[in-house]
Amino acid sequence: MNNHELVFLSAASLASEIRNKQISPVEAVEAYLQQINRVDPKLNAYITVLADQALEAARESESDITSGINRGPLHGVPVAVKDQIYTKGIRTSSASKIRSNFVPDFDASVVTGLKSSGAIILGKLNMTEFAMGDPITSAFGVTRNPWDTRRNPGTSSTGSGAATASFMCASSLGEDTGGSIRGPAANCGLVGIRPTWGRVSRYGVDGASWSLDTIGPISRTVEDCALTLGSIAGFDQRDPSTKNIRVPDYSAGLTGDVNGLKIGLIKEFLDSDVMGASKPVIQGVMDAAALLASLGAEVEEVSLPLAPVSGVASRIISAVERSSLHPEWLRDRPDDFHHNTRVAFSVGELIPSQVYYKAQKLRTLVREQTLEALQKFDVLLMPVAPVPATIMNLNPGIESKEAAVNALTEGSYRGLFSMVSGPAMSICCGFTTEGDNKLPLALQIAGRPFDESTLMNVAYAYEQNTAWNLERPPL
Amino acid sequence: MSDLNDDEIRALAKSVDLNIPDSDITDVNYSLNAMLQAIDSIDPEGINTVEPLPIIVQKED
Repeated sequence: MNNHELVFLSAASLASEIRNKQISPVEAVEAYLQQINRVDPKLNAYITVLADQALEAARESESDITSGINRGPLHGVPVAVKDQIYTKGIRTSSASKIRSNFVPDFDASVVTGLKSSGAIILGKLNMTEFAMGDPITSAFGVTRNPWDTRRNPGTSSTGSGAATASFMCASSLGEDTGGSIRGPAANCGLVGIRPTWGRVSRYGVDGASWSLDTIGPISRTVEDCALTLGSIAGFDQRDPSTKNIRVPDYSAGLTGDVNGLKIGLIKEFLDSDVMGASKPVIQGVMDAAALLASLGAEVEEVSLPLAPVSGVASRIISAVERSSLHPEWLRDRPDDFHHNTRVAFSVGELIPSQVYYKAQKLRTLVREQTLEALQKFDVLLMPVAPVPATIMNLNPGIESKEAAVNALTEGSYRGLFSMVSGPAMSICCGFTTEGDNKLPLALQIAGRPFDESTLMNVAYAYEQNTAWNLERPPL
Repeated sequence: MSDLNDDEIRALAKSVDLNIPDSDITDVNYSLNAMLQAIDSIDPEGINTVEPLPIIVQKED
């Protein structure tokens, strides 16, 4: 197998080939570095490529394999992480000018988890500045969508989506506050899971919003997603938000059996008159539901009348919580922010306390309504977004107040399960064509708190009966 | 409710020792008024009696 073909292997297949000594970790890292050199100038997915460190780690990994030592399920597999995740001795910028010289002296717990599973860190991935706003806010330049470089790769984990979709890493980590894992996974045709709040440690991650932030994988297959999540999930005494709840073997849970599973289709998001979803998006979700029904699942519609307010409430909560993290930067270094980020931080400081309080009360009501539905249904389905990846507006600023209101409404697609705090994932459910470009469509699957296994098994059943994950972007 | 105007937004900012430059005021106006208007229009049953619990309280193993 040549280097060009090697990068197309799934992380699970690559791990298997490495375990069986068919591919060496050094070959794997070299192949991915070649792919980065070839593709990244077009996409700008990486802020920092750790070529020397990754090759050194690969040689150690290879030596272990030769000695019969298996470090874990990702032994020798090259992965990359969003640049708000601390890496010891390596710049961690949050894509900002303000943090552009910040070098942590320890690894984030999730990086420790990846390394303990044998993974090799290839580099640090681009994102929106401080995980806010549009791709244009990154101090390291705009990241582009591999399916159409004019289009948004999904925010805020822009590089995690673009790099994984274009085979510049075998799997990646993103951070999801109001949809920043699910959005890039959707726009780039990938699998991404926002785990339950408290399932994965956030120790050593630059925060965005304390009550909403989660760390999770963006991968090319469900099995890769399960492997990656398994390496980072679990209680961490350094992060008091993590729960001491058993982490199941996510890979072993991928049976593909959904017979008798109860699946609810959230009707508010499948009515274009209510939430503005486009016909291809609705059709993609309905076709996926029909496929799951054909596999034995019991699918029926469910109404969550409060779901459409999730975007407004979640955006208010995240705006206030983000701006409270470093208020001194806004006063001491305002010119070091991108215009859009500075505006967002300013707005967060001006939201009255009673408005934030009302948003939190709405959160409770939305969560109660959704968890009540999840007593009847094992999982809930809906789109990740009303439309496929849109063409990026490269100009700073907000078009109008109406545009700002529309953005709040659109935020409900991903904000709903951020508010609930339970797990939600995105998986490609087809493609649509706009002009000459094929664009991925995405299905969102959400479930009960700490039941990531059921979500991933539903996604696995769907994936095993479709071939969308075999499609490749035109690079 | 009526929108806050630019002067009112600047006064609000001054109360938290924040300066909103001319280059930002229009976008802050759009974004802040959008949020205030949107949440003001939401009034579901139970909103005045429910506790604002931000996260799940889950029993641990």
